[in-house]
Amino acid sequence: MGAVLPLIFGMVLKILFNPASEGISISGALIYFTIPMPLQNLPITESQVNSALVVITIFFLCLYFTHGLSVKANLKRQIIAEWIVKQTQSLVKTNMSDYFAGFAPFVAAIMGLSAFSSLLALLGLYAPTSDINIVGGWAILVFVLITYYKMKCGPLHYVKSFGDPVPFLSPLNIISEVATPISMAFRHYGNVLSGAVISVLVATGLQGLSNIIYSLLPKALERVLSNVPILQIGLPAILSIYFDVFSGCLQAFIFAMLTMLYVASGFPEEDYFARKAKKLAKSKNIK
Amino acid sequence: MQNLDIISVNLWQILISLANLTILFFLLKKFLYKPVTKMLEERRTQIDKDYSDAASAKQSAEAKDAELTERLAGAKAEAEGIVKEAADIAKARGDKIVEEARATADGIIRQAEEDAELERKRVGETIKEQIVDVSTALAEKMLEREVNADDHKALIDDFISKIGDE
Repeated sequence: MGAVLPLIFGMVLKILFNPASEGISISGALIYFTIPMPLQNLPITESQVNSALVVITIFFLCLYFTHGLSVKANLKRQIIAEWIVKQTQSLVKTNMSDYFAGFAPFVAAIMGLSAFSSLLALLGLYAPTSDINIVGGWAILVFVLITYYKMKCGPLHYVKSFGDPVPFLSPLNIISEVATPISMAFRHYGNVLSGAVISVLVATGLQGLSNIIYSLLPKALERVLSNVPILQIGLPAILSIYFDVFSGCLQAFIFAMLTMLYVASGFPEEDYFARKAKKLAKSKNIK
Repeated sequence: MQNLDIISVNLWQILISLANLTILFFLLKKFLYKPVTKMLEERRTQIDKDYSDAASAKQSAEAKDAELTERLAGAKAEAEGIVKEAADIAKARGDKIVEEARATADGIIRQAEEDAELERKRVGETIKEQIVDVSTALAEKMLEREVNADDHKALIDDFISKIGDE
């Protein structure tokens, strides 16, 4: 129940605040109100509210799935919860290493947040993933994690890694380092937004096409039928399945996969363990 | 109501989204992964326990089985021993009884033979005496004369010994 309420709340908000639009309008999220802040004002938009609603929904889903856990697993929802946990753990283990076992909840959080955000479009809500700020925030968090694990061997090792094959290439390395979060954010955001844009374009195009067909009919019939754009049945639904469901889930998976791969590949595992062993030996010698 | 531009970067929105993801991470960790992994751990310990219980139960059952087999074999051997012993005793006793019976029978037969011999001898003696008497009287009567006593006696003895031999 708690999982459905936030979604209903979001739909009510949408109906209350969304002005009836005429024709095509491709724009960003609706701004509810603006909070004055230093540097930049903070507009509270649909995407902010919707992503918060998604977080609450996932939280209630967690509570629901883990309610009444027992060793003998006689509830269907417990099997789902176990499946999620085991799948993400094995995914993390195969794509990263045992050292990163704690990443499983993080990967699940990325996947869940991203997939649910994209799927909000099915309810007619604004998908937060088609807002660059939302996806950008996740990408920056991933960038922080990548840098943190690269720094594990000390800042000197980190700086040295930029002149990796030859010092002459270090500007390119720095650019590629910065490009990582940007590319991740734009890939996700671009995919979802372009899906929404194409859907709108196709829908309006089909409306125009059906109007042209109606204009060939007698005048009296045209007036009755003009409000029923017959060609809009079918194709937009298929596009919605592709762009909202398939692409949304795929982008969530890609974002999670890239997170795992970047963090795992950025972490100099061998150097780190060698360093750790050396430190341990040193501290033993001192004692 | 106003809409955001389609691409508009806002620092605070980015930070809020970052915080959202972090919050969701901690929520998932605390409310999904922790209980589920705890439950899985419990399940694993319970399964381990079940396995070890089963193994020990099997072991004890096997030990009991071996013990019972051993005892059964012992009991069988013992029974066979008892039967054999009993048979031996019975046979010995039977042999002894037969032996005694035979000895008794032999004794009785011998006694009877001895008695019969004795009787025969006695009867022979009696018959001899009677024959001597009778023949003496008969001879006296028949001859009516004085016979040389020595000749007479020799004649009679010869006669009697012939009778006794027949």
